[in-house]
Amino acid sequence: MTTAQKRTHGIDISALNRDDKSQQAGSLETCIKVENLDLFYGDKQALHGVNMEMPRKKVTAYIGPSGCGKSTLLRCINRMNDLVDGVTIKGKILLDNEDIYDKSVNVAALRRRVGMVFQKPNPFPKTIYENVAYGLRIQGINDRRILDEVVEKSLRGAALWDEVKNRLNDNALGMSGGQQQRLVIARAIAIEPEVILLDEPASALDPISTLKIEELINELKDKYTIVIVTHNMQQAARVSDFTAFMYMGELIEFGETSELFTNPAKKQTEDYITGRYG
Amino acid sequence: MSEAHSTQPHPSLLQTSASDRYQRWRLVKDKIVARCVVAGGLSIIVAIVLIFFYLLYVVFPLLLPAHAESVGRYDAPEPGLGKTLFLAIEEQNEVAVRFTDTGKAVFFNVADGSTVGTEDLSIPQQVQITSFIHGSLDKGIVAYGLSDGRALVARQDYKQTYPGGKRLITPSLQYPLGKEPVVVDSKGQALTQLEVKLSDSNTTLLAKTADNRIVLASFSKKESLFDDEISLERSEAVLDTTGNDVDFMLLDKEQRDLYLANRQGDLSVFNVTDKSQPVIKHKLNVMNQGVQISSMEFLNGDLSVLVGDNNGVLSQWSMVRDEQNHFSVEKLRSFKVSDAPILAIAPEQRRKGILVADANGLIGIYNSTAERELIKEQAISGKPQALAISPRATAFLIQSEDGKIEHWTIENEHPEVSMSSLWQKVWYESYSKPEYIWQSSSASNDFEPKMSLVPLVFGTLKAAFYSMLVAIPLSLFGAIYTGYFMAPRIRQYVKPGIEIMGALPTVILGFLAGLWLAPFIEMNLTGIFALLMIVPLGVMIFAYFWQKAPKEIRHKIPEGWDALVLIPVIIFSGWLAFQLSPAIEALCFNGDLRTWMRSEFGIGYDQRNTLVVGLAMGFAVIPMIFSIAEDAIFSVPKHLTTGSLALGATPWQTMTKVVLLTASPGIFSAIMIGFGRAVGETMIVLMATGNTPVMDLSIFQGLRTLSANIAVEMPESEVNSTHYRVLFLAALVLFMFTFIVNTLAEVVRQNLRQKYSSL
Repeated sequence: MTTAQKRTHGIDISALNRDDKSQQAGSLETCIKVENLDLFYGDKQALHGVNMEMPRKKVTAYIGPSGCGKSTLLRCINRMNDLVDGVTIKGKILLDNEDIYDKSVNVAALRRRVGMVFQKPNPFPKTIYENVAYGLRIQGINDRRILDEVVEKSLRGAALWDEVKNRLNDNALGMSGGQQQRLVIARAIAIEPEVILLDEPASALDPISTLKIEELINELKDKYTIVIVTHNMQQAARVSDFTAFMYMGELIEFGETSELFTNPAKKQTEDYITGRYG
Repeated sequence: MSEAHSTQPHPSLLQTSASDRYQRWRLVKDKIVARCVVAGGLSIIVAIVLIFFYLLYVVFPLLLPAHAESVGRYDAPEPGLGKTLFLAIEEQNEVAVRFTDTGKAVFFNVADGSTVGTEDLSIPQQVQITSFIHGSLDKGIVAYGLSDGRALVARQDYKQTYPGGKRLITPSLQYPLGKEPVVVDSKGQALTQLEVKLSDSNTTLLAKTADNRIVLASFSKKESLFDDEISLERSEAVLDTTGNDVDFMLLDKEQRDLYLANRQGDLSVFNVTDKSQPVIKHKLNVMNQGVQISSMEFLNGDLSVLVGDNNGVLSQWSMVRDEQNHFSVEKLRSFKVSDAPILAIAPEQRRKGILVADANGLIGIYNSTAERELIKEQAISGKPQALAISPRATAFLIQSEDGKIEHWTIENEHPEVSMSSLWQKVWYESYSKPEYIWQSSSASNDFEPKMSLVPLVFGTLKAAFYSMLVAIPLSLFGAIYTGYFMAPRIRQYVKPGIEIMGALPTVILGFLAGLWLAPFIEMNLTGIFALLMIVPLGVMIFAYFWQKAPKEIRHKIPEGWDALVLIPVIIFSGWLAFQLSPAIEALCFNGDLRTWMRSEFGIGYDQRNTLVVGLAMGFAVIPMIFSIAEDAIFSVPKHLTTGSLALGATPWQTMTKVVLLTASPGIFSAIMIGFGRAVGETMIVLMATGNTPVMDLSIFQGLRTLSANIAVEMPESEVNSTHYRVLFLAALVLFMFTFIVNTLAEVVRQNLRQKYSSL
């Protein structure tokens, strides 16, 4: 355990706060706290003692080479890893100081608070309207007025309203990939989560759609805590406030994005961001 | 590929040619395979089209119209021997006979009218011929009534010999009651009207006498024990009616029912089973006011009476029995022939066909079962003197009053089939009301084939419906659980296990159903129904307590293995159902469910019934539906289910709202393919349904399906007969049915698939 602690690089939020010049003072507050998180796929350990605190209403990016565990870590935050056979998790993840791995936690309720957008756009084979309304309907909200309002608000929030307002009853599968991804984001924000997890949301999209998604992320961070996994370091630099660099299941370095990219504390980080491996 | 090329070192010449040859060979292989696939696909389509056209080719003659044409016209032979009273043709259409009013029979060649022979009935010199009647046409009986109250009965006999390999027909007359006339009226009055029916041992002669009595004389043959002498025992009765009322007399061939009618249409029916005590059974008027009967004959089989009137309407009346066992004569149907009186009716001798001629020489051929007018032709001008149809109904002769005989041939192979006889209710002879009936054959010639396809289509759909009722819930729920919830380790055994069920030959399922399941269900009917109630109840109760169970116990079962826990529960509740069934039966159903159902609701129970078929055929269909539906559910993209779960949906919500929706094309086609299979399935329904073509919705009654009907009857149907072609029609219906169902299913599936194509 001591070695694990040595290897962790959780940073002190208050220290960050002091250094942060681009943010208004006093706005940093921990939203998600990861404590000594180990994760095993069967016998194979995929995460080694991760500790980190992600601030509220900021964008945190996870970067690192393929297979470094960044997606795995992301999926721990809304317990999507529960769906994988043979996963065991040790340690804690606190969302607003509640351990989400506590036995009494209702996973469905947790996932309502922590929304997620996947790498590949995954709209349901339903209409655009029904896709956005899905999250409400499964909570038993079927009032047409509420649904109409939420659908419009969410689609506006995902910068998609103007493009689809005249074809809300068309099948969502007829949209372009970029639109589908924004629809999925709209679907996620329709249930008003606190946290949105984005798992390489733009990797399957063309550059223009990618740009739109990035703009959207910038707008969304006013309201939501966002965690994004990306392969694209430029993207991380462009959209995130904080960046975590992971390697071989360990968190190597976590800090303000501007700091991490310009002045990495670790050799491994520097090697990665300068393109020596990855 | 270009990259691979560029990285290769420059190959030598030899290698290049080898690689070229390899490239070419690859192309050739590609093309061969492509052509083979296309050829295979096309040949399947061609085979299906050929099957379709073959079925159509066999069925097609049913649709051909009947046809009659005049092939000869000649003077009646031997005009010096008197006027024609009656014409008849023998089996081979070679020789015909005319009976004259002088008591002579003139046999002549049908084709050209040349005399083959004449025969004198040797009417005694001192008496006159006062009446004539023909008996059963197929037996060739005729009778002359004489002025001294006696009658002479003769029978046409055609002996076939083959001298020099050629057929020679030698006509003659036989006298079944002896050459001497027999006494009909013991008072010796002239017989002005006559009717005769003959059987091997009994002959009944009925006569109206000059003093207006109706006399019934019966002769039974007695063989002496000591020598070959045959003596006739005679009895006589007088009917309780005055002769004024009688213009037509018809006695059926069983010599039981006697129909008497006058021209005004008053018809009375007597039971003359006891020849000495005739009893009146029914009396009614069969004509509208002012309309008169102009002719009357039996339809083949002597079960219904054909009445021709002077308005040109031919109607069929039959004795029917209602539920209270009351007899009444009902009009089954009528045909409008023309506006002139119908003067002659010649019924076909092997079918329910009728040849009629009206006063203007117009002839019509009708079929009573099919209610079809088949032929209408102007045969002669003016009144017909005599009319005869050949025994095989392939020719007829009609003589006009000027002594000319017209010879016509008829092509009328399948008169029994019409849209109405196949698909609508038909009022068959001696049935109390019109009904849908399939009863295609019997041993006798005068049987009325009942070829309604409706009971068969009904049976097919009923069997398919009940088997789908069993199969759909079980297979779909199974597929949903296996495809979405079950742990992969069990799934890898469960899925092939169920699919192997589908490899079981249906004949084995059929005989298990017929020989084991049917008696088992019959013995344990209450248990079966208790099973349907108790097993789901048991599962639900168990599920409730399982939820309440401490976590330590619950967490011992990994996710997706929970089905295993249910197996003992299901076995136990099944056992419990059968254990409880005698108690339930004693408590609620007076000890026996089947008797209780019969007495309380009048529900009968057949051992081979739809419940058995539903279970057995459901069992046969389950693997197919399960396999296709499970594939569809299992192949729902994982990113959709995770997407739904990530939005806070429960697994159940995800399954109902996303998985089922996305898998719907596959599930739909699974159901349709299962339905198609259930409709076409033969062996199980053949062995487990009892093959009774009844139209009854009850689950405890048997049925007969189109496919089983074909399997049962095809081997015994005469090639190219109407029955044979109707069986092919049934096959065509089945083919079209499955074709339409499958096409529809495919279209819907393609549509659904297109909707979800970008998944």
